Amino acid sequence: MTHTVFITLKFILERKRQTVVSILGVSIGVAAFIVMASLMNGFQKYFIEQAIDLNAHITIKVKPEANPSKIGKKYFGDDVLLNVYGLKPPDKRDKISNYRFIISNYSKDPQFLGLAPHLVGQGIIRFSTIERSATIIGIDPNLERKASVIDKFIVNKRLNSLVTDRNSIIIGKLLAKDLGIEEHNKKVLIVFPNGVVEVFKVVDFFNSGITTLDQTRVYMNIRTYQAILGRPNEVNEIIVKLKDVNQAQKLSIAIERETGYYAESWQKAYKNFLQLFKIQNYITYMIVFAVLVVSAFGIFNIIMMIVMEKKKDIAILMAMGYERGDIVKIFTLQGLINGLVGAFLGSLVGYSIQEWLVSLNLDVEGLVRAKGFILDRSLVYYIYGVLFAFLFSLLASFYPSYRASKLNPVDIFRSG
Amino acid sequence: MLVLIDLRMVNKIIGQEHILKDVNLSVYKGEFLSIIGPSGSGKSSLLYIVGLLDRPSSGEILIEEKTIDFSDQKRLSEVRNKKFGFVFQFHYLINELTLTENVMVPLLKAGIPIRKARERALSLLEMVGLKGKESRKPYQISGGEQQRVSIARALSNNPDLIIADEPTGNLDSKNTQIVMDMFKELNKEGKTIVMVTHEMDLANQTNRIISMRDGRVVSV
Repeated sequence: MTHTVFITLKFILERKRQTVVSILGVSIGVAAFIVMASLMNGFQKYFIEQAIDLNAHITIKVKPEANPSKIGKKYFGDDVLLNVYGLKPPDKRDKISNYRFIISNYSKDPQFLGLAPHLVGQGIIRFSTIERSATIIGIDPNLERKASVIDKFIVNKRLNSLVTDRNSIIIGKLLAKDLGIEEHNKKVLIVFPNGVVEVFKVVDFFNSGITTLDQTRVYMNIRTYQAILGRPNEVNEIIVKLKDVNQAQKLSIAIERETGYYAESWQKAYKNFLQLFKIQNYITYMIVFAVLVVSAFGIFNIIMMIVMEKKKDIAILMAMGYERGDIVKIFTLQGLINGLVGAFLGSLVGYSIQEWLVSLNLDVEGLVRAKGFILDRSLVYYIYGVLFAFLFSLLASFYPSYRASKLNPVDIFRSG
Repeated sequence: MLVLIDLRMVNKIIGQEHILKDVNLSVYKGEFLSIIGPSGSGKSSLLYIVGLLDRPSSGEILIEEKTIDFSDQKRLSEVRNKKFGFVFQFHYLINELTLTENVMVPLLKAGIPIRKARERALSLLEMVGLKGKESRKPYQISGGEQQRVSIARALSNNPDLIIADEPTGNLDSKNTQIVMDMFKELNKEGKTIVMVTHEMDLANQTNRIISMRDGRVVSV
């Protein structure tokens, strides 16, 4: 082994320009991979974390209207082909009737960290002459705290005002901006679907970073809301916080079976986004893959060129007793070392680019709002980057090395 | 005299060309044999077969009375590494390596540790008169010196046989004589040498001459 390593190292160190070019190729590839992966996943993880925090791990709702085909089946059995046209939404009241029982029941289970009732509806919020539609959520601040991280998103931490002052509300930061409200304690009008119009005081703002929510949400005390709508003691949604968010899918099915209400896990609620992220990931990885393939071709070219230039050296090595396997080792090892050094350098470059991106102070506005880039600086991407570089440089240098080992020394000595 | 290498009815055919025709040749231990002949007579092809670099199309080769199996590449490599030393018309030194390192190459393959290999290489370079130039690169020395380095390299594993293919073909008369004197000295110390040349004066300095024409040995 020493003999091949010795010659390989000499070839690498004595042909600096070629070595540098192939190392650079690989390091650009690896750096691009690390940066892109951490940007992409950083954004996605941030979005998912925010979404889980905001939308509850599981939301228990009133079942969406019955499927028409089920009606037929209910009366005539499964074997019937029947369609029901012109259905209206079933005349079922939009409420979870035994919500106290559900809450107290699941609160005993250690897998559940908290449950809180919601009364959700629509309304129009009006400040001076500006009107915006809003999603109004009636909450019980004390239970809400246990079942979500709402405090995190309340700008001035005045969630308790909803308890002390029944006519106070907290509105989304962007909604406030749209309405032209810059400071709190402004009075606004809310028009409810049943025609009631009430004056409320804006005591705080809600700022989650997710644009659609910040543009539409209004929180108020659930009792006030119930009273205004004339639905005392009624709720139409229960939010659930779990110990392990990854259990949401499983537990939501159990809840659905046990309560008969519709339970939506966060995965289901954000299905579209999760799907989108998947596609986004494919695209990212395809681009990065292409970059890595290009740098592998760099290695391939350089090793191929070296082999062509070094025919005479290969011939004399073989004459002096080096085996074909030794020749393969010499050139493959050369490619591998270039690949690994490139990967290491690429990791360093990737790390520096991450540092730089993090230090940038940009206003990002879109699906989420953030100051600067959100990176997922996981070690895994470095490991993958190095691993890919290793694999690609192995593949790229093996063929030229194999070709080198198939040279016939006599042909080369004959041609001088 | 003991036979080191014995070729029996060796033929070599490349494509349509019949390069060696029924060649029988014995190389005796301790002799300095030269093979002469015009170009295209097959003398180099014969030398490559003697050096186990090429396989004959038919016929048999025995080294120390053992038949060589040309399908056993590992064994062939080992024989070339430990028993043979090669010197070609061109020096075939590796430009990336210093003179010392060039001489070390066969030693490392033989499994000798780097430090020992370096010591041996240095003493060999001293022997061929290149003391003080050990850490130069092959392109930094003259043609005569390059050829001497390749002789040092050929001697590194203390081989039984030195195989030289027109070793002075690229040298002026002064350097030619230096190389020839070196070979004669090595022969005196007991090394067997087989040299291909097309110059009669060089052949005359050896123990035995065989001449080749059109792929046949015409006189021994």
